[in-house]
Amino acid sequence: MGPPGLFPMLRYVLIKFATLVLLLILVSLTVFAVLFVLPGDPAQIILGIHATPESLARLRAELGLDRPFFTQYADWVGNLLLGRSALSIHYKMPVFELVASRLAVTGPLALLAMLFAVAFAIPLGIYAARHQNRPQDLAVMAFTQVGLATPEFWLGILLVLLFSVELNWFAAGGFPGWVADPLGSLKALLLPAFALGIIRAAILARLTRSSMLDVLREDYIRTARAKGLRERTVIYVHALRNALIPVLTILGLQLGQLLAGAIIIENVFFLPGLGRLVFTAIGMRDLPVVRDVVLLMAAAVVFVNFLVDLAYAAVDPRIELH
Amino acid sequence: MKRLVAIACVLVLVSAFSAPAAEPPKRGGSLIVCVGDEPPGLDPTASASAAIDRVVYSNLFEGLVKVDRHGKLVPGLALGWEVSPDAKTYTFRLRQGVRFHNGEPFNAQVARWNLERGAAEGTKNAHPEFFRQIATIETPDDFTLRLTLKEVNALFLFQMAEGDSVMLPMKGWEDTASRPIGTGPFRFIEWRRGDSVVLERNPNYWNPALPYLDRLTYRFIKDPSAQVAALKAGDVDVLGWILAPEIARGIARDKRFKVLSGSSTSEVIMSTNNKAKPFDNKLVRQAMAHAIDRKTVNELVMLGYGTPIGSHWPPITPYYVDLTKKFPYDPKKAKELLAQAGYPNGFAARIQLPAIYPYAQKAGEVIADMLGRVGIRLKIEIVEWGFWLDRIFKQKDFELSMIGHAEAWDIGIYANPNYYFQYDSAEFRDAYQKALRAETEAEKAKWFARCQEIVAEDAVNGFLFVSPSLSAMKAEVMNWWKDYPTIALDATEVWWNK
Repeated sequence: MGPPGLFPMLRYVLIKFATLVLLLILVSLTVFAVLFVLPGDPAQIILGIHATPESLARLRAELGLDRPFFTQYADWVGNLLLGRSALSIHYKMPVFELVASRLAVTGPLALLAMLFAVAFAIPLGIYAARHQNRPQDLAVMAFTQVGLATPEFWLGILLVLLFSVELNWFAAGGFPGWVADPLGSLKALLLPAFALGIIRAAILARLTRSSMLDVLREDYIRTARAKGLRERTVIYVHALRNALIPVLTILGLQLGQLLAGAIIIENVFFLPGLGRLVFTAIGMRDLPVVRDVVLLMAAAVVFVNFLVDLAYAAVDPRIELH
Repeated sequence: MKRLVAIACVLVLVSAFSAPAAEPPKRGGSLIVCVGDEPPGLDPTASASAAIDRVVYSNLFEGLVKVDRHGKLVPGLALGWEVSPDAKTYTFRLRQGVRFHNGEPFNAQVARWNLERGAAEGTKNAHPEFFRQIATIETPDDFTLRLTLKEVNALFLFQMAEGDSVMLPMKGWEDTASRPIGTGPFRFIEWRRGDSVVLERNPNYWNPALPYLDRLTYRFIKDPSAQVAALKAGDVDVLGWILAPEIARGIARDKRFKVLSGSSTSEVIMSTNNKAKPFDNKLVRQAMAHAIDRKTVNELVMLGYGTPIGSHWPPITPYYVDLTKKFPYDPKKAKELLAQAGYPNGFAARIQLPAIYPYAQKAGEVIADMLGRVGIRLKIEIVEWGFWLDRIFKQKDFELSMIGHAEAWDIGIYANPNYYFQYDSAEFRDAYQKALRAETEAEKAKWFARCQEIVAEDAVNGFLFVSPSLSAMKAEVMNWWKDYPTIALDATEVWWNK
């Protein structure tokens, strides 16, 4: 037997993992059922309103849409578990390949947006906390209020009007591709990532501020100050570390929101990302794509939650392991 | 009497089609055309989707005949054709020395294979009836193709000019949806999913004078404001299709750009369920026709860029009859007809508008107001496209809707009582059959005109206007099609004046 703490820990992980699997099964069933009853026939959308009933029936059979619910569901899940990709109805290529190529846009976009968010939010939050209830604090709070109220698509359009149409510094959208033009690709992501990131920054700045204020009231900070440490050291070394824990947690949980935001912003900047893929796929009833992408997004959120749970358990022994 | 109809046996003379510009076209350059919808695959012989034809028609693929920028039939891969006196046998003389982009030669055997493929059991073609009407295919030599139809069909040549009838190579056709190989002036380079389709000049095109451009890209941007931003920022050179009229007006003010406003074949109609009460009553439908002020609808919805219509036939298509005066705007008359039909106080109904078409929503609001003035109270419902196709188009579960019917030569939908607006008229079916079987031009003109009249008289749907073909481009882009008489964005003769 190992140390006494190991068994409860393992049990905790297993329970959390079982919950994760159960959750994914439920998500997959829900996604499948919703798409199954959603009005709209993929065959009709592909062939258009002038197609003959014969060609419609043939395409439906070819897509396997005429089979019963559970056969189709089992087929989908079975193939996923075996790592076999379905074919996109619209693009006629494997969904996995399609998703991978779109992730190459949305992944860096989300990352860049997070970077923008953190780069703005944390200094602003600290600044506001240090000047609590003074004009500087009010200015930051006003900015975050505006940020919270601004839809990212609208900010995106404003950025395009200013930087693309008026100043001509950036393209109004589009994506040249990482292989063809790496620098141009990075540049293409700057405006949309800024639009996405600055909105997140508003929330994070507020969170950083309040978390910082909480920490600054703690005893150990008073001790640090009493020791005669410089204020900079107190803030950046002692306070910030602890203040950032809730901020980073929220940052992780914002992944889902960021993916949702990407759907909108990718349409404004016509970026070939995952968000626009799923948006078009819903309109086109490209069911294999919608299913896989929604499941992937759900899995990403569930998985991040799982990791957060584990991290808490590892870091804080006070968390109930039973 | 012998009636040998010989049509167009001349080579395509480029000069005949180019705009009356003083300067000769310049060669070279790369053009980026923005379109709203990304096509579901690039094979026009496996789908009726208009988004496919807008990219590939006459650019990548060609059929025996083509529709030109004026809506006329012109030689494609056939140099010319003759029609037998009984109008059943078509003899095509094929162009010699034509090669597909992969080097395969085009000849009568290839043409035969393509036609047989379209007719085959289990074909993926959206219009197998185009090919199944052919009784026999003869190939007396490599460059002669003789087709005998089971029955006379006045629209046969137009059907052979559709995207469904383009010629594919016998080898390498399987991947057409993702790697298309045709005979057209441009050849396929790359389809970047979600972004663009890139084509380049075909150096071995059968007409060595064409195309003028070196590179042609179709870029997919759905959002109208993103489209305009892309044009203004210089990311695209042409906004090809479905440009909202208010946007067109804004662009036209900018000296760097020009806007072309022509005509299309898309009739925007208030689709009416002829089997649903009270719309099964002809008097009610005629009352609605009198209650709609078409000129004002066109002004409010299309800023006057559209063309009002009185029947289901675009003015740029041959045999058009102007029926816009048939039911002049007359609210008093409308109320009288409603009273006659048993609705002196009007009635309430529901109109469902597809969300993807802004014109449909705007027209729906305007119509709701106009019908409200004669006592028909409309409740507006905005529906998503998949829902529209399912509930309205397929299950016919609706009262009124609004949609543009984009295809040319589509009045035949009124001969099908199961079509979503469920119009059932033996008189119309008879007239349509006579038009299709007409052996002379005069007969065709007479019966197609009759078809338009019957549909107008019965006020089957609310006939509103034909959508304008609005396109916007940089001022230096020359020779873009002004009208869209067929579903295509053909850039063969486009050139850069810079």
